[in-house]
Amino acid sequence: MTTTSQSAPQPAGATEPRPHRHRRVSRVPWWMYGLLGVMTLGSVFPLYWMFVVSTTDSAAATSLPPRVVPGGNFLHLAGLVFDIVPFLQAMLNSLVVATAIGAGQALLCALAGFAFAKLSFRGRNTLFLIVVLTMTVPTQLSVIPQYLIISELGWVDSLTAVIVPGLMSAFGIFWMRQHIAHAISDELLQAARVDGATTWQIFWRVAFPLVRPAAFVLGLFGFVTAWNDFLWPFIVLKSPDKYTIQIAIKALQNSRDIDLGLAMSGSFLATLPLLVLFVFVGRRLVSGIMEGAFKG
Amino acid sequence: MLRPTEAATAPADPPRTRAVHLGVRERLAPYAFVAPFFLLFAVFGLFPLLFTFYVALFDWDPIGEHTFVGLDNFSRLLDDPRFWGALRNTFSIWVLSTVPQLLLALAVAHVLNHARLRASAFFRMSVLVPYITSVAATTIVFAQLFDRDYGLLNWLLELLGLPHVEFTASIFGSHLMIAAMVMWRWTGYNTLLYLAALQAVPRDVYEAAAVDGAGGWRQFRHITIPSLRPIIVFTVVTSTIGGLQVFTEPLLVSPGSLTCGAARQCQTLTLFLYEQGFGRFHFGYGSAIGVALFVMVVVVATINYLLITRIRSERP
Amino acid sequence: MSRRIAATLVLAAALLFSQACSGGSDDGSASSGSNTFEFWSFTGINQKADVDRYTKAHPETSIKLTEVGSTSETAQALTAALAGGKVPDLVLIQGDDLPKFMSSVDNFVDLNTLGADKMKGDYLDWVISQSTARDGKIIGIPTDVGGLAVAYRTDLFKAAGLPTDRDEVSKLWPTWDAFIGVGQRYVQATGKAFLDNAPTSVYFQAINQGNERYYDNADHKVSYKTNPQVKTAFDVTLKAIAANISAKQGSFSSGWTAGMGKGDFAVVSAPSWMLGSIRTNAPGTAGKWDVAAIPGDAGNWGGSFLAIPKRAKNPKAAWKYITETQSPAGQLDHFLLTGALPTTPSVYADPKLVAQTDPFFSGAPIGKIYTDSVTRLKPFYIGPEDGTIGTEFLNLLTSVEQGNVPPDKAWSTAMTNVEKAIRG
Repeated sequence: MTTTSQSAPQPAGATEPRPHRHRRVSRVPWWMYGLLGVMTLGSVFPLYWMFVVSTTDSAAATSLPPRVVPGGNFLHLAGLVFDIVPFLQAMLNSLVVATAIGAGQALLCALAGFAFAKLSFRGRNTLFLIVVLTMTVPTQLSVIPQYLIISELGWVDSLTAVIVPGLMSAFGIFWMRQHIAHAISDELLQAARVDGATTWQIFWRVAFPLVRPAAFVLGLFGFVTAWNDFLWPFIVLKSPDKYTIQIAIKALQNSRDIDLGLAMSGSFLATLPLLVLFVFVGRRLVSGIMEGAFKG
Repeated sequence: MLRPTEAATAPADPPRTRAVHLGVRERLAPYAFVAPFFLLFAVFGLFPLLFTFYVALFDWDPIGEHTFVGLDNFSRLLDDPRFWGALRNTFSIWVLSTVPQLLLALAVAHVLNHARLRASAFFRMSVLVPYITSVAATTIVFAQLFDRDYGLLNWLLELLGLPHVEFTASIFGSHLMIAAMVMWRWTGYNTLLYLAALQAVPRDVYEAAAVDGAGGWRQFRHITIPSLRPIIVFTVVTSTIGGLQVFTEPLLVSPGSLTCGAARQCQTLTLFLYEQGFGRFHFGYGSAIGVALFVMVVVVATINYLLITRIRSERP
Repeated sequence: MSRRIAATLVLAAALLFSQACSGGSDDGSASSGSNTFEFWSFTGINQKADVDRYTKAHPETSIKLTEVGSTSETAQALTAALAGGKVPDLVLIQGDDLPKFMSSVDNFVDLNTLGADKMKGDYLDWVISQSTARDGKIIGIPTDVGGLAVAYRTDLFKAAGLPTDRDEVSKLWPTWDAFIGVGQRYVQATGKAFLDNAPTSVYFQAINQGNERYYDNADHKVSYKTNPQVKTAFDVTLKAIAANISAKQGSFSSGWTAGMGKGDFAVVSAPSWMLGSIRTNAPGTAGKWDVAAIPGDAGNWGGSFLAIPKRAKNPKAAWKYITETQSPAGQLDHFLLTGALPTTPSVYADPKLVAQTDPFFSGAPIGKIYTDSVTRLKPFYIGPEDGTIGTEFLNLLTSVEQGNVPPDKAWSTAMTNVEKAIRG
């Protein structure tokens, strides 16, 4: 920990304790590396095997002993996947939905977080308590009325039905409020106010630029969660040209004549964009989760 | 997803920022800033929640009629073995996934917190890979790894001279299989939460304990565990709420059906709700299941609250 | 770094948005065109073959075919769409799911208004009557019937010391009891499973061999509790389960597909539409299969209907497709291509149909085998909950086979389950 401290930017004034230099800390016992090795292998193997199957053929999924070396069939199978379901369309749909939700959450939560952290208004504490309370009730249990509302709005089978409810993130507000409270001094806002800036200007020109890294991490979580979401898109998106990538995987998997190899290829293709994203921003997700735990 | 531990703390009052004259527009600005959330919440959160209770009083066919039946759906639910089976399955999958998951996460966090560990950034990233993998993809891979005749796991068992295990078709086996999927996805995530809490413990405390002759296990027992208690409660609560929502895994384990096996051996409460609501289009009965879920969430939240206040009162 | 990624993402999103939107508007304008329509089918039935043929003959037409999922998933998607979503112009409904939609016929176009009244005589009476409402409205045109037969592996039979000739094999099992006996002989000789699974391959066949199923033919009330034919089919399945001759692989599961390819079981009950499934799921076994008669009586499993939802945007184009592909000649062509049996008896004597053999199934005269089983069958009334009841019986028997329900509790549990399922 001492040498590889987190590289992600910390909000100013965050209370993360600095790790102390090791003075008399013992060596790392071998079993610790063993445990981490097993953990890493376990985390990565299912994905690797999915990749192997998607580069060979369907028989590889059920061959024993299992196949562990990739083959050269990837493009062929990928082509079949695109042939069977509108996979490219599903990929685009997912990208649209996840980006809209990620960006929307980042912005809306920063706005509300700013109001709760730095503005005073009547009912603020009560409203914030409501925000916090909504975090405990999962929305899944009321999917039936939600569907009725969506169908009243005429949004069934449109990406809007997934995006708009997805913009709501109580956790995001909580998270942004913490960051804004720590990162921005009241004097700074006061000075802007004296200069005659409106509240919106103060938010957009002063506050938001300072917490952009935090908002970005929040948007990332929103993106990943939306990309992987299943139940709600499954309920409201019925025609294949509106499928998100997860629903397309299901469509691949349960068709009678279509084999497991194809479902695996589809799953791999669906995971690939996130893996690539992870290479670039994985560190920030890691530190995001750790900060999240911290602030609580 | 990410949820803070002690959520219900009210924000501290910031110094007033309206020394300057504020117009009406300015005075309404804070409300405009928080309005999007409350608008969305009203339409897609609160109203549906209340409406669930209303729909549950009807025999509600989305392409047919709505007949008021009073509490009939609830009495039928309490008398329905499918409901109790789903409750059992949900609970069993929750226990099977949560307990080993949190223990493993604790151990891995402890290791990751070792001051001289090499490549710790790499290990932290690698444990988080399952978190970004979609449940749908995970389920398809795991279902195949757990297959009775052609799965990797049973092949390994065979190599060890053990008989094949019927994962999908048996009650316990299918729970184990789904629990493994849930566990795979969340262990790394919880590891990082624990790690963050561990890093908050000053290293001097450990060093002082070491000087006093406390070995690794005693340090773990007397320093690590107590300082992690709040975050452990938090992860148990989130995994419980998450456990009530397990849906995609049991859905995709048995393609083409909504029961997760012929005997409904791994049908969870949320899948049962979906089956009744969107497979059979009994919106009323499905909503009654939603109400039952709500009651469970309230129970969990109450226990959570009691635990947290106890922990607070224990610590000066 | 973060800003660059953010910028890239936003740019990508903007691009996609514009693309997605333009794509959407293209679709919109196209489906209002007179030659484009949307078609929902289920998987495993190879409607694509028909669609391809049709668009080849009519290049000006474009058909958006969607294989929604299994038969019941397709019916669920249709129900959801009828309840307030975008409906397709044409939809394929499986026979057991049809009665449910018959109770709300107003959701569909009465095909008589498009000319079905003139062609209803082309179809088997007992089939078209299923899609005819009491007031005479016709909401579906039957596309195929299943018939009943058994597909078996000649190479595996030979290895087990059983006859391989289809007539001799048919003679081996005049009854289900004899069939179970052959299974036991096979298992003894090879140590491998005989049958894919008993609930589908025995129960779903046996139940369709009677002259009455879950509803009373006369008063159209549920009668599964008292109909002795149900109990007989149920008991013979329990017997097959007890004989331990099956691989316990649920039909259409991935284990079933893999096992079929690897020869881990030798027999699959095969209505005509199943032949296509075997062909695509186990392509490596070509020529190793043959088709024999089903034990017991003639009967039918499956078959589907094409219907046009009332809110369809382009019912005319959909109807044109129906009239052309579902005419006796069209169904004959479909049969020659896929093996699914026509519902138009006028082609049953057609030399092409009679002469049709299938090399994948050792040259079995499939036309003759399946028309025999269909022309001899005794039709029964199919009620609104038939699909649900059938699924519950199948699930219960599967639970028995998998050891989750003891056989002596099977019947009583089945009764409770069916009752619960019909209710809610």
